[in-house]
Amino acid sequence: MMKTSAEVNLLLLLLVFTLHVKGMRYSPPGKPALTRCRSPEKETFTCWWESGSDGGLPTTHALFYRKENSEAVYECPDYRTAGENSCFFNKNNTSIWVSYNITVVASNALGSTFSDPVDIDVVYIVKPNHPEMVTVTVLEDKGWPFLRVSWEPPHKADTRSGWITLIYELRVKLEEENDWEMHLAGQQKMFNIFSLRSGGTYLVQVRCKPDHGFWSEWSSTSYIKVPDYIQREKPMWVLITCFCAFIFLILTWLLHMNGHSLKDFILPPVPGPKIRGFDKQLLKNGKSDEIFSSLVVSGFPPTTSPNCEDLLVEYLEVYVPEEQELMEESKDLHDICLKSEGCTSDSDSGRGSCDSHTLLMDKFREAKEEKRQRDQEKSRTGTEDQRQQKDWEEEGLTYAYEDMVSPNISSGRVETWPSLFSPLPQYSSSRHSQKSSLEKAKKHCFSDSLFPPGSTSFSLDQGGQTTMEAIRSSNREFSLRIKQPHLLHSHTQARCQLQAHSEVNISSIGCKQALGGLRSPAPHSAEYVEVQRVNEENTVLLQPVESGHGHIDGCSQLPLGKDYSRVQGVDRYNRLLLKGEVPQEGDCLYDYQDMTGDGTENCYTSSSVPSIQKPTACIHTVIMGHDEMVLAENGYIDTLTARTLPNY
Amino acid sequence: MSANIRKVWVEVVCVLLCSSLSGVCSAPLCMNGQNGCHILSLSDLFDRVIQHSARMHGISNDLHSEFEQYFLPSKNQIGRVSRNCHTSTILTPNGKENAQRMARQELTEVILKLLLAWRDPLWHFHQSMAHHPDFNKFSSNKALEMSDMAHELRKGVEKVAEKMQMLGIISNSVSSLASPEAPLPANGHKWRLMKDYDLLYCFRRDSNKVQNYLKILKCRIVPEHGC
Repeated sequence: MMKTSAEVNLLLLLLVFTLHVKGMRYSPPGKPALTRCRSPEKETFTCWWESGSDGGLPTTHALFYRKENSEAVYECPDYRTAGENSCFFNKNNTSIWVSYNITVVASNALGSTFSDPVDIDVVYIVKPNHPEMVTVTVLEDKGWPFLRVSWEPPHKADTRSGWITLIYELRVKLEEENDWEMHLAGQQKMFNIFSLRSGGTYLVQVRCKPDHGFWSEWSSTSYIKVPDYIQREKPMWVLITCFCAFIFLILTWLLHMNGHSLKDFILPPVPGPKIRGFDKQLLKNGKSDEIFSSLVVSGFPPTTSPNCEDLLVEYLEVYVPEEQELMEESKDLHDICLKSEGCTSDSDSGRGSCDSHTLLMDKFREAKEEKRQRDQEKSRTGTEDQRQQKDWEEEGLTYAYEDMVSPNISSGRVETWPSLFSPLPQYSSSRHSQKSSLEKAKKHCFSDSLFPPGSTSFSLDQGGQTTMEAIRSSNREFSLRIKQPHLLHSHTQARCQLQAHSEVNISSIGCKQALGGLRSPAPHSAEYVEVQRVNEENTVLLQPVESGHGHIDGCSQLPLGKDYSRVQGVDRYNRLLLKGEVPQEGDCLYDYQDMTGDGTENCYTSSSVPSIQKPTACIHTVIMGHDEMVLAENGYIDTLTARTLPNY
Repeated sequence: MSANIRKVWVEVVCVLLCSSLSGVCSAPLCMNGQNGCHILSLSDLFDRVIQHSARMHGISNDLHSEFEQYFLPSKNQIGRVSRNCHTSTILTPNGKENAQRMARQELTEVILKLLLAWRDPLWHFHQSMAHHPDFNKFSSNKALEMSDMAHELRKGVEKVAEKMQMLGIISNSVSSLASPEAPLPANGHKWRLMKDYDLLYCFRRDSNKVQNYLKILKCRIVPEHGC
């Protein structure tokens, strides 16, 4: 016995040695583990395990189980049916509502290892097979198609006897999509799917589960194609409808944007009362005191003005203008020309105050134009700028004057220019360069015609008498017709007052007239002149007054100083501005009487154009008055004031 | 005087008759579909009890899962397998063939036995759960509901048995078992030794048996719908 044990030990040692010599390590097998047990129909079940390390030696596995309340240990009856590492329990070996204790043993030459035991009850490990015979058909419900999916339970699961109760679930998706649509079908074996896409291909799958168990695998995919049930015509109609709606929206938007102008086009707004300085809000407030207070212009009627007699001018004050003042004519011409150009109509509905200003300007321009043409016809040589300027100024003076007060033989009545001229202080502008301003002024005055459609005609007689009619369409404008007084001849000594409306503002151009017979008794001193008359050449004949109101006839007194025969203009104090010039021989009142238009022309042309300094240098007073038909002795002015000069 | 005595006699007789008839008054009010009364068919009755049993089993399953979360009894305990439910003495079929081989009457009796065996244990289970500090009120309410449902289910199955008897499907021996005076099984008090968890485990299984047996009965007797 000792010998045998020694031999056994020796053999073992040898074995270990040989194994060690081979260079390999052997160990008992690793611990196996039962992965899962499943029953497809609650009548049989299968358990699977996985083995641990085999320890380098061939390892065998065995499954042992014990039933509840029994000590007997049984080995797995079937290792093969379910595959590798599995144990299949058939019907005879399966008891329901009985707890099984299952263990797997792995053993090799060196030992065996038991797995952890697992308690299972077959009722709770049921995982059926997937449903079978899944059929999908397309049916129609009032023209709208739907899918009908039907299936059968797995053939192994006995639902007919009520042994297993299965609930079903199916999922649907379009072929090109990724998300499935799940539907729980309960215990029924049929399901309808609605709201299909026309012409789409659908995929359908079904699975089942017992009331307490695991879900089965999904059945194989069933493909179904839905026919095209949406007609082709409909999209076209939908497109047309959308297009029309779009057009309608655009029209509505356009109408909304331009609604205001459209409304103005159909129903033009009625112009409301527009009075300068009148606040409509006051009218809305309803306080009459405030309204009327705004209408009241302070200073008018002039309460503090001197008494009426003071307004009556019996004589004109003449300041001695200097040479330079005459040169300033051009600038003033330019200024006034520009001013009229720049004068646009204000917010007033009428064209009142501005028009009056432009009226004379337009007339002046045309007068100059015609005068110009006349000069060109006579082919004046010498196109010096200076001379042109001179002529231009002379013409301007001429026609402006004629415009203002010259009587017109043909028409037979003369009207004044109320509020037609700008006040004189506008003269007092800075000096501009003569040439450029003049040329510029020329451009302004000659280029555009601001004549209203009402036509302004300007005709020129041979005799230099001008017939002018200016008819304006506006009711606030006045037409001036100047005619030759019939009684001119007989009233040599008639003094005519240059009477104008109280609102007459004579522009500088208009005022620049050559007055005949104006003599300044002494230079650098204020002299008084009288307006004698207007001769047939449409010239205002002025007579200087010496020491008071005495009048001197004719040329009895030749002035030593300058000749104030030209009206430069009227300032805002309604005073005629006369300019003096060096008298020439033959400048005589009486000469003027007998002289024809040529004479007057000679008078005008021969005299030099003095420069004019500040208009304040020559300030004249002009008689102002109200509208009254005046037939003076020479009866040439219609709307002159009724005031007559005393003692003429 | 004789007229009064007569009246009294008539009233007494009427009272006696009424009292004797009171035993019969428990009979259904609706007899053979008269007066537009809707009589439940056997199929409907079966559906009701099956739904009831399914719900009862669901509650027991939920409670069992809760128990496992709280207690997590070790699965390696040796003594676990030797758990012995007090209803193990009731012979119940453990397979489909066994269940199908069993007669309808037997099967109905098994169901009723099972339900009866659980009447008291469930009530005590609820009581112990209500006083247990580990469980919230939700769980104890479930236990109470389970107990009530077991009671209602038993009543329902009795009704079904009655119906079947009426239809001649089963014999009259079942009714005797349903009476509350029936003697309890021999090991009826064994359950008091069981722990709560084991009680729950046993009841979970037994409720599953009841549900399954009812389904088998239904599909065998009235296989029209859902079989």
